Amino acid sequence: MIRLPDLLAGSLIAAGPGYMPERASSVAEGVDQVFALLFWMSAFFLVVIIGLTVLFVIRYRARASRPGPEASPDHSTKLEIFWTAIPLLLVFVIFAASTKVYLAMTELEPGANPQRVQVTARKWSWWFDHAGGKGSKELHVLVGRPVELVLASTDVVHSLYVPQFRLKQDAVPGRFTRMVFTPTVPGTYPILCTEYCGTNHSTMSAVAVVHPDQASFDAWAAEGKGGEESLLQVGVRVFEEKGCSACHSVDGSPGVGPSIKGIWGKDEKLTDGKIAKVDENYIRESIVTPGAKIVAGFDDMMPPVPLDDREIQGIVAYIQSLKEGP
Amino acid sequence: MTTAPAAAAEHAAGDSYLTHGKGIASWLFSLDHKRIGIMYLALIVFSLFLGGVFAMVVRFHLWDPSGGLVSNDAYNKMFTLHGAVMIFLFVIPGIPSALGNFVVPLMVGAKDVAFPRVNLLSFWLFVAGAVLFIATLVVGGLDTGWTLYPPYSLESSRGLGILLALTGVFLAGFSSILTGVNFIATIHKMRAPGQGWFDLPLFLWALYATGIIQIFATPVLGITVALGFLERVFHLGIFMPEYGGDPVLFQHFFWFYSHPAVYIMILPAMGIVSEVVAVFSRKPIFGYKFIAMSSIAIALIGFFVWGHHMFVSGQSKWANIIFSFLTLLVAIPSAIKTFNWLATLYKGHIILKTPMLFVLSFFAIFGVGGLTGLFLGTLATDIPLHDTYFVVAHFHFVMVGAVMIAFLAGLFYWWPKMTGRMYDERLGTASAILIFLGFNVTFIPQFLAGTMGMPRRYATYAEQFVGLNRVSTVGAVLLAAGLGVALWAFVASLRHGARAPANPWGAATLEWATSSPPPHDNFAVAPRGVPPYDYTGLTHASDEAGWIPVRPEGAR
Repeated sequence: MIRLPDLLAGSLIAAGPGYMPERASSVAEGVDQVFALLFWMSAFFLVVIIGLTVLFVIRYRARASRPGPEASPDHSTKLEIFWTAIPLLLVFVIFAASTKVYLAMTELEPGANPQRVQVTARKWSWWFDHAGGKGSKELHVLVGRPVELVLASTDVVHSLYVPQFRLKQDAVPGRFTRMVFTPTVPGTYPILCTEYCGTNHSTMSAVAVVHPDQASFDAWAAEGKGGEESLLQVGVRVFEEKGCSACHSVDGSPGVGPSIKGIWGKDEKLTDGKIAKVDENYIRESIVTPGAKIVAGFDDMMPPVPLDDREIQGIVAYIQSLKEGP
Repeated sequence: MTTAPAAAAEHAAGDSYLTHGKGIASWLFSLDHKRIGIMYLALIVFSLFLGGVFAMVVRFHLWDPSGGLVSNDAYNKMFTLHGAVMIFLFVIPGIPSALGNFVVPLMVGAKDVAFPRVNLLSFWLFVAGAVLFIATLVVGGLDTGWTLYPPYSLESSRGLGILLALTGVFLAGFSSILTGVNFIATIHKMRAPGQGWFDLPLFLWALYATGIIQIFATPVLGITVALGFLERVFHLGIFMPEYGGDPVLFQHFFWFYSHPAVYIMILPAMGIVSEVVAVFSRKPIFGYKFIAMSSIAIALIGFFVWGHHMFVSGQSKWANIIFSFLTLLVAIPSAIKTFNWLATLYKGHIILKTPMLFVLSFFAIFGVGGLTGLFLGTLATDIPLHDTYFVVAHFHFVMVGAVMIAFLAGLFYWWPKMTGRMYDERLGTASAILIFLGFNVTFIPQFLAGTMGMPRRYATYAEQFVGLNRVSTVGAVLLAAGLGVALWAFVASLRHGARAPANPWGAATLEWATSSPPPHDNFAVAPRGVPPYDYTGLTHASDEAGWIPVRPEGAR
């Protein structure tokens, strides 16, 4: 199972156990290096444990020529310190290696301009609203372009898993969760649900298509577009229908409530002096329980507005568009 | 001073706890810790059988990638009940309630546990919990997974099953708390004269640490399932987003108990290993104080690692990083124990009887179980491995491999004391070897499947995993056969096993200083504390008479 060429190249760490799925995201290699580190460390300790057990049983088993145990100490502080310190040291090594990779798994490069995709999980399928307004049962991304998935669930907890990306994130009803990555190899990869969700949990799958170039991605984005309402269109419609515009302007002018222009990503100062960043979860909370966070200079007077998940995603898309353009 | 073994031997000719009191009521309402332990044992072995049947359905269903045996819904119920029955009715109570109840008072030279009536109450709460689980089956089963995550578990379309299961967990939890209280009080207050804290057998240190967890963590489980019950009935808005609750809060509460619960399972197992490895190496346990204190350390660190079950739940990445570090720390006391056990073998006089064979296989299996835990405590590797078969394989190595194998080691070890009968070594040896092989063939392929990306709790799966799943199913048959041989050994022993002497293994802990089986009051003469791992005062008389003191009037 061990890849001989990797071994010959001189690095056990690079070798790994050899049965991992292929690597198709920017973080996969880092993950596999930590895996290989743990794999070889574990292999070493397992050989020590099993080896000593077998050796001692063979040498010291009771038999005619061995009437009893030999004298040996029943404790040794030096030994105890030795086998306390070695694992402690290794814990720090593992922790350091892992944390470095993990931070890269949760954050994009500073200044990255990711393609944002709203993901909706429900029993038992996935739905992906892409930045250009196209909704699809498939996730479409472009090789080398960072991606930010914002996950929601309309019913129970699900989890989005792509083995080749080495990434996984739960979709939790009542809140938004986030997953970031950069695809590195064009191709089609399975998306699996890894949080148990009932009858068809095992067939709740989709595919992630990594396009090799912008032209291919654009061709896909153009085909069949305009058939149904995009998230942004949902947001614009809901904003009018629910009467949000009576109090919240879209041009930056102050009203009864704060304007929604340019607030996306901003740090809002609240009446209690705290700071809150305007993101998906802030917007959801401001709609569902408006009294939870009040922007300084405004009164707590908005009634809760019961929107469904898609309508909230629409409002989020609308607010984003007023910051960044559609 | 009259020697306890001699007096006990006379005693054995007449009364034993098995013959003291006749009729079914004398068992069901017995305050005798030994009878309560035996009743627990019967229920726990039945639970193991029931959970095992569910496991076999799961494994045969997965012979075929499209799910060969039952519907998806039936499969989901099978894995749920397999997990719930095994965890709540076998692995958690197995060693403490069955074996612990029998030997704890004997090991401190007492007549009974500190609170015999509470002990009986604990047993009946456990029975009530078990009955509710069976009732869950009758009303149509439960398909939530043993982790009971809302919103799925508390959906309004659910019937009675979830309420019965939550109540069952609540009652079984109370039983566990009461057992913990009893053991801690017994170990504190009822030790034999001259038995200091560092004269305690390490099994008692392990159960003491377990008791700490049972007392402080299990109430949180009780509160959590009670809140779940109320949420389902009254829609309080605690865990369900549709009523304004937070499903991730349930995960925090649940794992605040259920991770320490892993140590409720493994610490007593480690305690058994410490007893058996010393006795069958004929040498004092190496590093007694470090083994004792590492149990306490595991119990304490275990309270602060629950977040590692939630690395992909969306919790803050800084929380993830802290939980990851704390989780990795558990490796240290685990490593300390392992190396001390290995050092105990060094220059020993290793006797390969059945309990020792199980313990030797424990070293390898706990080694794999512990080391693969590193992959899951480490964030970078947990993200891809989370909720895949890698996790399934890991926790089966710890819970089935390590805990069940230690349970069997303990059962074979104390069997002569409990029943007064020896078992057939050939059957015992055959079962230990079959279980070791069957276990590894079952679960090693699951590590591979998980690393390659097969998620857990899948009723159907991708073609690429068919080979690994079939090997796993073959392994499960071997494992079941091994357990069958063990059962055969015990039944055969009851029917025509040789009479057991007071001390068949040459152990120095106090339970071996009384007759096998012990009299109702445990000891004819109250014993004094002795060094638990000093075997120099014992000599092997004969297979029939077992080990006897070298100097009848000596210090022992």
